[in-house]
Amino acid sequence: MSANNKAAVVGVDVGGTFTDVVAVRGGKIEVAKVPTVYGNTEAAVLDGARELGVGDITHFNHASTHGLNAVLTRNLPKIGFLTTHGHRDILDIGRTWRPQEGLTDPTWRRSFGDADRPLVERYLRRGVRERITSNGEVMTPFDEDDARAQLELLARCNVEGVAICLLNAYVNPAHEERLRLLAREILGDVPVSVSSEVSPLAKEFARASTTVIDVLMKLIYSDYAHRLDQGLAAQQFAGQLNFADCAAELLPVDVAMEKPFRIVFAGPAAGTMASAHYGALIDSANLLCCDVGGTSSDISVVVDGDPFVRTTFELEHDLIVNTLSNEISSIGAGGGSLVKVNNFGELTVGPGSAGADPGPVCYGQGGTEPTMTDACLLIGILDADGFASGKSLESELALQSFGALDSSLDIESRIGQAFAIGVNNIAEGVTNIAVKHGLDPREFSLMAFGAAGPMLLPAALELVNAKEVIVPPNPGLFSAVGLTSTDLVYSDVASSYTTLDAGAAEHINDVYEQMEAKLRRQLPADAGDATIARTFDGRLAGQTWETPLVTVPGGRIDEQAIDTMITNFHEVYAARSGSSFEAMPVQGVSFRVSARIETPKVTFQEASRRAPDTTLEGAAITLRYLYGDDVDATAYDRDALCIDDQIVGPAVVREHTSTTFIPRGQVGLIGRLGEIRIRKA
Amino acid sequence: MTTIAPESDVLLRDLSETQFAELYGADRFTMTVLSGRMRYIVEHMCGQLLNNTFSAILRDWYDFAATVHGPAELDYPMCSVSNSLAAFFGTMCDGVRNALEEYGPERLNPGDVLICNDPYRTGTHVNDVLFVRPVFSDGNIISFVSLRAHQMDMGGIVPAGFSSTKRDVYETGLVVSPQLLYAAGEPVMSVFNLFLDNARYGAMVMPDITTIRQNLDLAERLITETAERYGVPALLGSMRYACDMSAESMATALRSLPDGEYSSSGYIDADSIDDTEYKIVVNLKKAGDRLEVDLSGTSPQARTSINGSVLDAKTAVGVALKMLIDRDTPFTSGTYRPVDIVLPAGTIVSATPPDGAIFMFWEPCCVITAAIFDALQEALGDRAIGGDYGSLSLHNGNGTTEDGTPWVTTGQCGGEHGPWSGTQYGDGDSYQVIYLANNLDPATEAIEADLPVVVLRKEYVADSCGAGFNRGGAAVVKDTFWRRASEHWTSPLRVRDDVGFGVNGGCDGTRTGVWLFDDAEDRVVAGGGQMSLDGEVLADSTPVAGMFDSDGFDLSQDGGTFFHYGKNQIWRTRPGAVWRYRTAGAGGWGAAKTRDPQRVLRDVRNGYVTVAGAARDYGVVVIGDPEIDPEGLSVDEIATAELRSA
Repeated sequence: MSANNKAAVVGVDVGGTFTDVVAVRGGKIEVAKVPTVYGNTEAAVLDGARELGVGDITHFNHASTHGLNAVLTRNLPKIGFLTTHGHRDILDIGRTWRPQEGLTDPTWRRSFGDADRPLVERYLRRGVRERITSNGEVMTPFDEDDARAQLELLARCNVEGVAICLLNAYVNPAHEERLRLLAREILGDVPVSVSSEVSPLAKEFARASTTVIDVLMKLIYSDYAHRLDQGLAAQQFAGQLNFADCAAELLPVDVAMEKPFRIVFAGPAAGTMASAHYGALIDSANLLCCDVGGTSSDISVVVDGDPFVRTTFELEHDLIVNTLSNEISSIGAGGGSLVKVNNFGELTVGPGSAGADPGPVCYGQGGTEPTMTDACLLIGILDADGFASGKSLESELALQSFGALDSSLDIESRIGQAFAIGVNNIAEGVTNIAVKHGLDPREFSLMAFGAAGPMLLPAALELVNAKEVIVPPNPGLFSAVGLTSTDLVYSDVASSYTTLDAGAAEHINDVYEQMEAKLRRQLPADAGDATIARTFDGRLAGQTWETPLVTVPGGRIDEQAIDTMITNFHEVYAARSGSSFEAMPVQGVSFRVSARIETPKVTFQEASRRAPDTTLEGAAITLRYLYGDDVDATAYDRDALCIDDQIVGPAVVREHTSTTFIPRGQVGLIGRLGEIRIRKA
Repeated sequence: MTTIAPESDVLLRDLSETQFAELYGADRFTMTVLSGRMRYIVEHMCGQLLNNTFSAILRDWYDFAATVHGPAELDYPMCSVSNSLAAFFGTMCDGVRNALEEYGPERLNPGDVLICNDPYRTGTHVNDVLFVRPVFSDGNIISFVSLRAHQMDMGGIVPAGFSSTKRDVYETGLVVSPQLLYAAGEPVMSVFNLFLDNARYGAMVMPDITTIRQNLDLAERLITETAERYGVPALLGSMRYACDMSAESMATALRSLPDGEYSSSGYIDADSIDDTEYKIVVNLKKAGDRLEVDLSGTSPQARTSINGSVLDAKTAVGVALKMLIDRDTPFTSGTYRPVDIVLPAGTIVSATPPDGAIFMFWEPCCVITAAIFDALQEALGDRAIGGDYGSLSLHNGNGTTEDGTPWVTTGQCGGEHGPWSGTQYGDGDSYQVIYLANNLDPATEAIEADLPVVVLRKEYVADSCGAGFNRGGAAVVKDTFWRRASEHWTSPLRVRDDVGFGVNGGCDGTRTGVWLFDDAEDRVVAGGGQMSLDGEVLADSTPVAGMFDSDGFDLSQDGGTFFHYGKNQIWRTRPGAVWRYRTAGAGGWGAAKTRDPQRVLRDVRNGYVTVAGAARDYGVVVIGDPEIDPEGLSVDEIATAELRSA
């Protein structure tokens, strides 16, 4: 703890609306919230940095949704895609399946398909004559004339970068290498991403889409990273600039820019990492993390202190990126979720949202459809005059909007039920995550953050049947804080379908030795104490879905190590699925190594102790619509809370970035690091 | 039919809170929560199954369904069915009830799992085994949770079962009447042995069954927790409420159609014995908020396994109506309440045992769906939906590797994926699965890692889309190269017709064709690793199925000679054979000559339409060569105006 207290670390979370910059010095958190400037994202980061000062900062850790937004809005540079002749439509085909809402909808279309909004137009997706088979043999030699012709066409179209993904290149990358050299020769110095390097894993679509995202991110982030680096240097920053990846682990900027597909979804992951880190400090290792913003709730799981990590994620339905990421489930429920009435007379809340513009009705910016925030204002949870950012809220407009709903319910029921349904939606989302992972919510705490999390989650406590709700300090900035609590991780992965038996030992040993040698060359000179860890993704013979991240012994892989790998696989499989099939052969699919270098982490200041002879005092408020009659409650200022203070619900705790609502029948207890633990009374 | 309807014609939204609570045993809020929870429960069952299953057909084709049904005293309302295969939706309502009624729900105990796979009792085909678990509360059954899941093999004369060639119920595979697979949580060994003694690939079937039982455990636990939290009356009320919502939604949607009579028909080309067509007739009578769907006049059942059962016909009708007019509310047994279906026994969509063999049930179902789409196209106006590629043209193959290990492939190397039609919202996708299904396309690299196959080509065919203001998706051509001697079954059942029909003035897509090139390795090598798309190569092929020019076996524009897939029951190939499947193109929406010339130009640039096709089909004159200078193309506006006004 003492070493960490000397650390000076900055975490930056670049969001669509605001850029949160958090500096931690000696356990003290300073905050700058700067509006994100579209098209000049680094300006907000640098402004925030200037406000907090970075001359003494050792690590500047950065997460951004900039690249993600560019993909979602298709505000993308023009790139080419080269693949094996006869297969140019890989990127349109995807994995083909449709989501629930497309099941009985013949007008459903793939969002990234040619009929909708492709990432790469079909004429820029070209086939090259060559063919390598599944065992790596050359069936058709690389046709250099054809490759030149395709590249020359792309040159005429002035592409800014090229993604290359040839069939079976994960087994034999020779043709991809030659195509890369030719691309250099013909296209000059433009970014080229090659699938066997970006993501050498089987299944062509996921590898191709990952490679496309990689080259797009190179184009989007390279200049940005350079400008950010220079801008920080001008502010006398002499530390290490790091980018967070999709598992909220840090990569030095130069490593991140080599495989930038890994940073495309960093922002939400940081919240999970913040929860894991903060949970460890307050002895809560099992968490259901819930980041409730304006439009959506991002829900994730921490088990025994570790986030649940998966090996791929989707940017849009079926638009896959192969990278380790914290599993996060987003549901359309947040403070801005719209309240409507459906054809059956049911009130519905979300997934539609009032967003930032016009925002909730009570913002007075032209919104007319009521939202959860409007309900919370009318109930009395939000304070019309004391809202974050000093805005004053208009209750009358909010009331009118509920009155205008076409519903047989009286106005009191409309407001009360809207709140209950919005809370129920979040509760179902959290329950679904727990069920999916076979977890018993009674052993888990709900970590409530994001601006609207503490306002809605305590009311969901009973529905979820979790142990308690924990509201951390600065819940509205918690994700940025998360970036000051994570490690530098260098990693690599290779795919090689190998049945695990004694005969496979030498091959698997070679795979690990090669990867680890490569990894060591990447590590900085002072990384002597880096821990290298091995895992593999495997499956039972016959399955296509892998069970990821099974532990692999260190040292030489011999027959005994293989036995350990098999045993470990069956244990993980049983833990995940509930049964084990030990008689079935295990196939190794992907082999992973990572080197972790610990970085300084935020510590949180202890909350103050209550001075003798003082008591916690609050202001009397009235809550309406929730409990039938009006109910008296108390509003507290979070800054005034001290360790061991007890808050009996119904009560409200207000702070700069958030409001916590403790319903009737619950009690909040202030913990050592200022957390509010809310439990059933 | 399946639930207790509200006594009056009052819409759900107009019920007072008191009336509502009297009817369903709890308030509106509780009903909203509980009906949502029923849907989550089936989603969890499916998610767990998908992640832990072994057989390719389950994991890739979502070939399963999960439901929650109410108890016998409510007449088994199916209040929730899973996000999986639409082709199961309608059969599940009745299949579960039929199995339970025959066995007797009063004989069931906690921990039991009842099974049945008979298509005439439960719909679909024998490989789809129904598993039902009763959920008890205080000694009473309050619900049934069920899973129906495709098993890799169920015996019969074709490995893995998929074939149009089987001639009666004895050839299709083992039939299991309703009986217990688990009794009070314990496996019934004799029934397990029945499977293991009669079905191939037992090593894969057994773990799948274990996984299925675990999913039933999960669902049972979730229902029990829900009953404990909200009470049994509210739980039962929510089952009726969910069905009433669907019924009301379908009735409301029907009201939006003009009253009247509508009809259409469609065809299956042939069974595998000779080339006689089978006709499927739909006559719709719509009045107010009710609809009668009369399938009388449909051809008698086929002599080989291309038939469907009466429950499959019911599914096709229900899914077609949901797709056209009622997409947004969940499917339940209540969906059918405003709909009457008239269907005589013994037709190709109401086959009877023992001679009316059922396996490829979805193929005649596709015809029903398409005929309903077609019949209603004028009534729907802008909302009309055209034809997709019409048939899975399923391929099934097997053989052995060099060391003698058997391999089998199902639904990976034929014409299983193809385009959807254009709609009022835009062009259709070119690579989907038939409207009635949903699946994961197997990765080429996964196919090649598992089988002695190289997928040479999987791409779209220029000028194959049905032209339109919004065009249909393009035909898919798939060439596969087989390195080992193999046996193949192929079922392209709809090559005669323009299955990808256009609507609202849109054009039809091109037709389906299947060809086989024996001993083609040298040709592939000479072609730079490819079989040319040039029509001339087809003259050297064995024409398998299609309407072809008699000299060169190319797809005929009009007319042509019919080539019957059933000419060979089993297609045996030597190493080095190439199969080519070309799906139909899908229908266009709206008149092609009203399509913005710039959108046509984009299609030319992207290779969906050729320069010649742009002039012929859209009346748009495009200047330039898309293969050499795709960005140098332009529209000759004067020539286009002339051509379009001609």
